[in-house]
Amino acid sequence: MRSIHLTRSLPAFLSALAAAGLLAWAILGESASHADVGSTLVAGSVCEAHELKALAAEDPHVSVEIPKEFDKSFPTREACLSHAAAEDPDSPGPLQPIQFSHKHHAGTYEIDCQYCHSGTDVSPAAGVPSVELCMGCHNQFPKEYDQLEGIRTLKEHWEAKEPIQWEQIHRLPEHVQFQHRAHVRAGFDCQRCHGAVETMDKVYLTEDTIWWPWGLPSKKLEMGWCIDCHRENGASQDCYACHY
Amino acid sequence: MTPPPAESVAAMIRPTPVTRDSKANRDLLRVMEGGSLGYFALVALAVGAMLAAGGVWIWQVYEGLGIAGYAHPVFWGAYIVTFVFWVGIAHAGTLISAILYLFRAKWRNAINRSAEAMTVFAVLTAAQFLGIHVGRIWKSYFILPYPNQRALWVNFKSPLLWDTFAITTYATISIVFFYVGLVPDLAIARDRATGWRKVLYTILSLGWQGTSKQWKAHNRTVLHLSGLATPLVLSVHSVVSWDFAMSIVPGWHATIFAPYFVAGAIFSGFAMVLTMMIPVRRIFALEEYITDYHFENMSRFLLLTSIIVGYAYAAEYFIAWYSQVEPEQTSFWKRAFGPYWISTWVMILCNGVFPQLLWFKKLRTNVPFLFVLSMLINVGMWFERYVIIITGLSREYDPAVWGIYTPSWPELVIVAGSFGFFCQFFLLFLKVFPVVAIAEVKELEIHAKAHGEGH
Amino acid sequence: MSEFDRREFLKIIGVGAGGAAASACSDPVEKLIPWVIQPEEITPGLPVIYASTCQECTTGCGLHVRTREARPIKLEGNPEHPVNRGALCARGQASIGRTYHPDRYRSPVERGADGSISALTWEEATAKVASAIKAAGSKVAVLGGQTGPTLSALIDSWLDAVGGGTRVVYEPFAREALREASTAVFGVASEPIFDLTDTDYVIDFGGDMLGTGASPVEHSRQLMGARDARRERGRAARLVYVGPRLDETASASDEWLAPKPGTEGLLALGIARVAYDAVRASGRTPAGDVDAIESVLKPFGPDSVASRTGVPAEAIRRIGSAMAAADRPVALPPGVALTSRRATATNAAVLLLDAVVGAVGRAVTIPPPSEGPVASFRDVAKLIDAMRSGDVSVLLVHDTNPIYSLPPDSGFAEALEKVGLVVSFASMPDETSERAGLVLPDHTTLETWGDASPRPGVRSLVQPTIRPIFDTQSLGDSLLAIARALGQERAAGLPSGSFRAVIESAWSDTDFRAALKRGGEFSETGASLAPGVSPGIARLEFKEPTFEGDGSFVLLPVPSPLLTDGRGANLPWLQETPDPITKIAWQSWAEVSETAAAELGVTPGDVLSIETPYGEAKVPVWPRGGIRDDVVALAIGQGHQVGRYASAAQEGAEGRVRGASVISLLPSLTDESGGRAWLAAKARVTATGSFQRLPFTQGTDNKRGRLLGESISLVALAKGESPWAPNQGAFMAAAPHGEEHGGNGDASDDHGGGHEGPHEIRRAFDPSDDSEDGDPFRWGMTIDVDKCTGCSACVVACTVENNIPMVGEEGVLRNRQMSWLRIERFVGDGYQQLQTGRPGPQNHEALGDTDVRNSPMLCQQCGAAPCEPVCPVFATYHTPSGLNGMIYNRCIGTRYCSNNCPYKVRRFNWFDYQITGWPEPMPLMLNPDVTVRGQGVMEKCTFCVQRMQAARQDAKSAGRDVPEDGAIQTACQQTCPSGAIVFGNLKDEKSRVNTVAEENAGRAYRALHVLNTRPAIQYLAKVKREEGHGTGHAAAGPVRPEKSA
Repeated sequence: MRSIHLTRSLPAFLSALAAAGLLAWAILGESASHADVGSTLVAGSVCEAHELKALAAEDPHVSVEIPKEFDKSFPTREACLSHAAAEDPDSPGPLQPIQFSHKHHAGTYEIDCQYCHSGTDVSPAAGVPSVELCMGCHNQFPKEYDQLEGIRTLKEHWEAKEPIQWEQIHRLPEHVQFQHRAHVRAGFDCQRCHGAVETMDKVYLTEDTIWWPWGLPSKKLEMGWCIDCHRENGASQDCYACHY
Repeated sequence: MTPPPAESVAAMIRPTPVTRDSKANRDLLRVMEGGSLGYFALVALAVGAMLAAGGVWIWQVYEGLGIAGYAHPVFWGAYIVTFVFWVGIAHAGTLISAILYLFRAKWRNAINRSAEAMTVFAVLTAAQFLGIHVGRIWKSYFILPYPNQRALWVNFKSPLLWDTFAITTYATISIVFFYVGLVPDLAIARDRATGWRKVLYTILSLGWQGTSKQWKAHNRTVLHLSGLATPLVLSVHSVVSWDFAMSIVPGWHATIFAPYFVAGAIFSGFAMVLTMMIPVRRIFALEEYITDYHFENMSRFLLLTSIIVGYAYAAEYFIAWYSQVEPEQTSFWKRAFGPYWISTWVMILCNGVFPQLLWFKKLRTNVPFLFVLSMLINVGMWFERYVIIITGLSREYDPAVWGIYTPSWPELVIVAGSFGFFCQFFLLFLKVFPVVAIAEVKELEIHAKAHGEGH
Repeated sequence: MSEFDRREFLKIIGVGAGGAAASACSDPVEKLIPWVIQPEEITPGLPVIYASTCQECTTGCGLHVRTREARPIKLEGNPEHPVNRGALCARGQASIGRTYHPDRYRSPVERGADGSISALTWEEATAKVASAIKAAGSKVAVLGGQTGPTLSALIDSWLDAVGGGTRVVYEPFAREALREASTAVFGVASEPIFDLTDTDYVIDFGGDMLGTGASPVEHSRQLMGARDARRERGRAARLVYVGPRLDETASASDEWLAPKPGTEGLLALGIARVAYDAVRASGRTPAGDVDAIESVLKPFGPDSVASRTGVPAEAIRRIGSAMAAADRPVALPPGVALTSRRATATNAAVLLLDAVVGAVGRAVTIPPPSEGPVASFRDVAKLIDAMRSGDVSVLLVHDTNPIYSLPPDSGFAEALEKVGLVVSFASMPDETSERAGLVLPDHTTLETWGDASPRPGVRSLVQPTIRPIFDTQSLGDSLLAIARALGQERAAGLPSGSFRAVIESAWSDTDFRAALKRGGEFSETGASLAPGVSPGIARLEFKEPTFEGDGSFVLLPVPSPLLTDGRGANLPWLQETPDPITKIAWQSWAEVSETAAAELGVTPGDVLSIETPYGEAKVPVWPRGGIRDDVVALAIGQGHQVGRYASAAQEGAEGRVRGASVISLLPSLTDESGGRAWLAAKARVTATGSFQRLPFTQGTDNKRGRLLGESISLVALAKGESPWAPNQGAFMAAAPHGEEHGGNGDASDDHGGGHEGPHEIRRAFDPSDDSEDGDPFRWGMTIDVDKCTGCSACVVACTVENNIPMVGEEGVLRNRQMSWLRIERFVGDGYQQLQTGRPGPQNHEALGDTDVRNSPMLCQQCGAAPCEPVCPVFATYHTPSGLNGMIYNRCIGTRYCSNNCPYKVRRFNWFDYQITGWPEPMPLMLNPDVTVRGQGVMEKCTFCVQRMQAARQDAKSAGRDVPEDGAIQTACQQTCPSGAIVFGNLKDEKSRVNTVAEENAGRAYRALHVLNTRPAIQYLAKVKREEGHGTGHAAAGPVRPEKSA
């Protein structure tokens, strides 16, 4: 399993490097561009514009220049930040094909989990939103949003009618038959197992290790971890509940 | 193998500087010296067989147990047969060292060392098969009762679990026993050895000086260990027999199994001791220490246990008939006259009939005869387990799923490899440890001198 | 644990919309691939069920296609469909594999003159066909199997549109003789429909209606319903079988007559004559031309018939008068095996018998003649001549494999050489498509649109339930495309849209959506006629048929209940399912009687040379008691050269023929009506001296009087004496009196507590004790041995539902088949002679003996399971609901559990079958709710625990605590045509599983109960419907052992 992780994470790792390089280039290039216009900072994008405005707001000495085309309210600053955070290779969790921020959607805009992950309450499996569902909202948003790479990628997929290949983060072994609906019905928050997703720009497997007697660790999504919760809540501990 | 002529053996001995050294020391330590071509050929053979088996086993782990000959409904085959066989072999040693010690049967002294060694090696060999036999060796640690966060425990009701414990216990005790007995002799060897052997023996002999204090402690240890080991002789194979007796398979589910298996084990154990010691004695010219008298005593044991085993065979058939339980009857009928009749008759002849010849003193003292007979008994005992396991399973309660099992060649290679595994240890033992308990032999000599009783 | 795991599905959810072919890599899935556009009816993780129609044979059973993430994973019968009422046969169950078959054509292909294969695009392929047709003019011919009415009509209009040409419908098993006979007897040219509902006297003249007849699923349901032993009428109902061989129907019958092959018609007339006299005596008159009837029947007095058929006159009289007296009698016509050169007369005789006893209009209905072309062997012969004389330059072949199914004698193969272009529409390679210049692969049933009309009043729809896996196109669309490629003027006459549009317009007279939802249009009142006997019958000549060849054995070509006419041979599920009669899988065998075998000096597996004037075959022999001495029987279906499973290519030898094809031994002859005559050759049979081990899957059919596959006489049933009460002799199940008080029996009593009298004893324990007190469930089953026909539908259903791998011939030779459910076939009570006298495992049948018990054997989910205590790691354990849990990922593979299981229902993964067993794209059909087992673990029946869990979840979602009775159906129960299996909660007093057992308490027993395993499965003994009949071997050997060890 672990070894597979290594090989699997290699492409992710490379893309992370690339992203890091891009980021560095963006920052340096920016500073360079400031340099030649004396001490005036010129925004290169709406997102930069947001940052420069903020900079100017807190430090009047800095002179900033916001080109007309970048002087927009959309995408919002918050969206820009989330987008950036979602592609930050240094934050935990794998890089996703789209810089999708759960914090932005589930946190800021408080979209219910099951709006996108529909069927989770009626089905053993948790639904993963279709591209159509994403477009349902994003179609209505102003063109400016296309400045975000993530939105562009999404629309490319939609045009090409190609499914998005998300990196799976919460994975159970194949011989485990997990029933999402049972747990949702029992009134457990998604966060109980998936962590405070609404606070993460980039989703990752949160640490939640139970320590058993004899100093035995039982990591999240391991059997001991499941059993422990089942025991606490008087749920079935019959093997057939999950293994068949 | 043809033993080298005595002269050449003698030639191998370099004149010992210590002329005052006792004859026993010289004779017995001589065995450990040098090593003829024949010896190394044998080692090569044994190791080769073992490696071949190892290769096949790796292939089996990769490919799946299917490369063995298993056929529904016969789900146990040559592996378990051989496992039981080796566990059986492992019995003579402890019996001789422990029980005969307690009974003060002096003649044991000449053979107990090699017997104990065989015990240790046989148990190790047997243990291999527990692993070889299971379908998912990589998960076989599940069988150990270790605390785990899955809160999963082992099933103490399962005879297989008892097996695991019985075998490990037995291995531990017999190794300790073997070693404790070795200490004084290692000291003797230490005093005469040079080079790496010196180092080895110095470490192993635990600074034995042969002071009366040490002797006292040593004797008490041996006595207590014998006390501990005695029940094991009976328990181990009883537990192994319960692998079968505790099931409901016709032909397995019998109360007679424990004593029956123990007797069989001792039977096969002694046979193996003979098979091994006769050539050893011939090659290393130990006639003085391992005398016909010893062999005769062992053949007496063979005779006794053979009668017990033969009685068990008869009893099984009687009960089958007497019970009027049809599947039981059918099972036994198929044993004798079904597809596996050959194995059954081999077993009956080799274990029940031929050993009866030992009623004649002439034959008891006829070493070549004993050698052949012991071979036959080894074969017979392997087939006994084959008959019990295979015929039992192939003719069970539901006639619609009666099936036939025949071992495949990979299985046979692994079985052969187990003999290589065993032999390589024994050959090594010949060269590293005194093959006869020197100290105890001397003891006897002293007694002999004192009371003028000889043999 | 598994490479092709159920997450394979999540992985390819995108495929449904994205269209990217999923490749199963051996890494665990790492990507979540959602839809681009998610169909609103689909919730990932929940099954969606679509109604469709089974196309495996021409019967036209309704389907419920169970899909997951837009992927069919299981076929089940459509409960609303009047033909099969929710059940499905083994063939139907296995047909799901066609869609995921690794052999399928990936795209259109062209075969060059040098035999080189090259892939084409559809445009290219269509263009090529079109140009060829343009060149051919009217020299176009379409040769195909029976198709749905809409497609059939389209083909006709297409032929007209493209410039005329001949169309030939060819079904190897077409029942032309029956149609012709009905024309002669009733003056209506259509196949009569036989309804066995509530019949009390059924006589089948070799039709094997339960196995290979016209509508086995339907007839099994109706007949077993009529024979339900709970009802007085059901106990009295009788089934008489006429035929040379003990087949499925014969095994279920109460009386079996084996006349000289081909004389069944004469026997029918003899019976009809007796019945006629009785009917007239009772003052009734058969409808129709009485003089014609009398003139026909006159020469067939019982005694003359007896001498001509070899059936005792007494039997003829008895049956004749019984039929006349019966309330709702019916006689069924012969099937393929007995279509001799006088098949029409034979069929006519049977229909006449029906007319005489007044079955016509009640159990027998004559539908109005169906419009559209019908299969005709004579047309095939004509076509072959045309081909030979070069009058066919383009031949289009669909839904049939003539190269295999036509005898070489017909000269089809040679004629095919003369055809300019052969276009095949096969979806996977077969012998014919291998010789086609162009292959335009058709969709499979699950990918295409279509319809069927099995009978008047029943119209049934076929709808696609999966996006085509490969670059294929439905036959209808291909034809339309070809026509369009030919130019507007030609295509003008044809519908403009796709084939789907054609279907919709054909169904425009109904609410299409509703029909789709329901699976079709079902009105019980189909137009049908009840004509009287027409004078036309006098035309026919009733006498013994002639046989070609001078051999001493009549060659009986038996249709295989699994492979049918060979079309099932490439489906591994059918190959590995043992033949219901001989229990042989993956191979051909020749059946001769034991007497004949003794004369030939052969024992099972010795290879026979079977020689007719038309060819020779070398086949291993399978001696039986249940076959006439002058008959050698060969099953149709094996002997393919093409196909990964049909041929022996799988065993490495590429293209090696698997088994032998009986068709290659047959002449290309017809009966009076021009129908194909199968029973037309005599064979010379000699021993070759070589031996071939046969992969048979049953140890012996001698149950040795053990408590398995029981039967009980009507008398005993009436008296309430069941001889297997637990306190009786250990294994003397059939002991006349309980004189044996075996210790085992007492042991089981101890558990049950005190009880006197048979009833208490029978219920010596209460299986519902065997689950935890708090738990609402104790799952159990009731299996009616009296209803089981051995058809093996349950076996295949189980295999598909539970992802059970195939092990191939090599595996079966070592008895390593993985099936969780097997059907044990015992003959008589068996005897306990310690050695069985005769050689071979199947040695207890006898001519005229019908005491065959088919007893499905699966995990008994014991209350005191021997497997549980011996597992060192608790991989198998007792669940709170009383099941024997089997946790694969805990198993280390000591196999002790199997050794200790008296029923031997556990199976071990000897190899990594999950890799070897599922070549691409087969993994797509794996059931995502069932773990795919890895190498080295034990597995067994779980009572479909995945369905229980789902149902319990659904119930909870619906606010109920427990699913109501019947909500959970195991796969085997769901598909059982005769409803022999009932599953349910034993703790629920009103559950059907309990009530059925209660109502049949008199014949309830538990397998090997004396071992005190406390099984959760209750068997209901087969009912011997006549005292002193069919007790078979109870007499052959005393019940107590003769010899003792």
